[in-house]
Amino acid sequence: MNTLTKLIARWRVQAYLDFMWMTRDFRFFFINIVSDIILNLAGVAAVFLLAERFQGIGPWSRDQIVFLLGYAALVRGLLDMGFSYNVLHISRRIGRGQMDHLLVQPQPLWMGLLAEGFMPFSGSWSLIAGMGITAWAIHQLGMALTASWWLIFFCNLVASCAIVLAFSFAWGSLAFWAPVAAEEISSRAVNFMYQLKSFPLDGLSAFMLANMLTVLPVGFVAWYPCRQLLGIAPSHLWHTPLVAMVFSLIAWVAFKKGMQHYEQTGSQRYLGWGHRS
Amino acid sequence: MFAKHLKTVVMVATRSLDDKGWVIVGGYGLRLLRVVFLLSLWRVLLPETGEVSGMTRDAVLTYTLIAEVFAGQISVRTGLDNALWHGDIANRFLRPVGIYGQFIAEMFGTGLPNLVMFSLPLFCMAPLLGVDPLPEGGVAGGLFLCSLILGIAIGAAFDFIFASLMVLLEQNVYALMQIRDAISVLLSGAIIPLALMPWGIGNVLVYLPFASLASAPLRIYTGTGDPAFLIGLQAVWAIVLWPVAHRLWNANRERLVSHGG
Repeated sequence: MNTLTKLIARWRVQAYLDFMWMTRDFRFFFINIVSDIILNLAGVAAVFLLAERFQGIGPWSRDQIVFLLGYAALVRGLLDMGFSYNVLHISRRIGRGQMDHLLVQPQPLWMGLLAEGFMPFSGSWSLIAGMGITAWAIHQLGMALTASWWLIFFCNLVASCAIVLAFSFAWGSLAFWAPVAAEEISSRAVNFMYQLKSFPLDGLSAFMLANMLTVLPVGFVAWYPCRQLLGIAPSHLWHTPLVAMVFSLIAWVAFKKGMQHYEQTGSQRYLGWGHRS
Repeated sequence: MFAKHLKTVVMVATRSLDDKGWVIVGGYGLRLLRVVFLLSLWRVLLPETGEVSGMTRDAVLTYTLIAEVFAGQISVRTGLDNALWHGDIANRFLRPVGIYGQFIAEMFGTGLPNLVMFSLPLFCMAPLLGVDPLPEGGVAGGLFLCSLILGIAIGAAFDFIFASLMVLLEQNVYALMQIRDAISVLLSGAIIPLALMPWGIGNVLVYLPFASLASAPLRIYTGTGDPAFLIGLQAVWAIVLWPVAHRLWNANRERLVSHGG
């Protein structure tokens, strides 16, 4: 069996388990849907209300802002769907000594991480909300969309997701050395990205903006790629994928170093029932 | 009489600093950046002089900064949701302190390190961000404190009402608290002053109890609202919501056996 087939087989199992978990109780199912949709809409509502009130923000028209918000919601939706169960918040797994659960499985670590967080039913509502917002914005903007635009759009979207994931893994690797203190560091890193992703950064000073596009790459989660996709700024559509590659490399090195440390020390927090002490 | 509560405040305040250096630093960094982002947004949107919906740009900047300085107080949390989530609510009933007093003491304890380590430095560095952090006047500052205390009382009542609903509905604590946070932050005016919301919805939201949490004290602080009306409305909501919270909590606390982890 080749690697892709194995991965698809694992996703199928995860999808089945997720469906069974989601549909075991209708009220639970309903509240999950409602809470995810409300959360997603509330996350973008503040900036939308401002854009509506002032008919745009800086160089962005109201509908362009909606596109930005839709894109940001899509990034969150994809990550919620593909990297749940604390795969995105990797420092929790590391800090709690739960990496052993992955390491004992007869498959490469990366495959376990890629498969275990897949929640196509319970985790897809944010994605659906994001698709709705983006579709509405595209319709309002009346854009002439070509196949190449869609290709670039998806490349940038995947790159934005990779940047959030890499940022979380890079910081989360600290939990290999400080499992208690850094247990929640990935959730802080992800919260940082999620809370600031919907803001247009045009009003920031040059110094702040440079930081938001390098050290703390929140600008690449939505603002920068949307400026390119909408033609608000000169088109450098390869920038976001390039930054994603750089951050992925940093995250990979940090995680690898952490794993080497973990192989020597293990976790002091692991208990027989797989929970933290 | 309050010695036990005071001890609880101290215990929680010091406990919250244990082993969480990364979380504390990360959290404060995020909050600082969020306020910088919001300030930059207002500078893009509002003209330097003149008023928009009765608010000058300087007033909005002060409003935004003070909302972050007192974020712990205007988005008040007793920790009741966490007690349900972790299942240690049962232990609370065994402690020699009443359940309301216990959670309210914990709420103050949790907020103390934030006030000292984040709010105070942010207030002091406000001029560096180009914001005047002082209230409209001495009277406004005094009335702000009254309004803030009423807002905290309303927020605590909300916590018990939502916790009762969680128990009643037997649903995921995390999901319901997320919904509550998302809605209340938006409707309370903690991020956007209600006067600057589109379609005049701010004129309606001002009468809801959510507005008493953030909008009322912040408008008093910045001198953009009528203190008598705002504090009066807050007092009405506090008087209405606490009996509701008490009744709901008493009716549902016996069902807590279905929760815990």
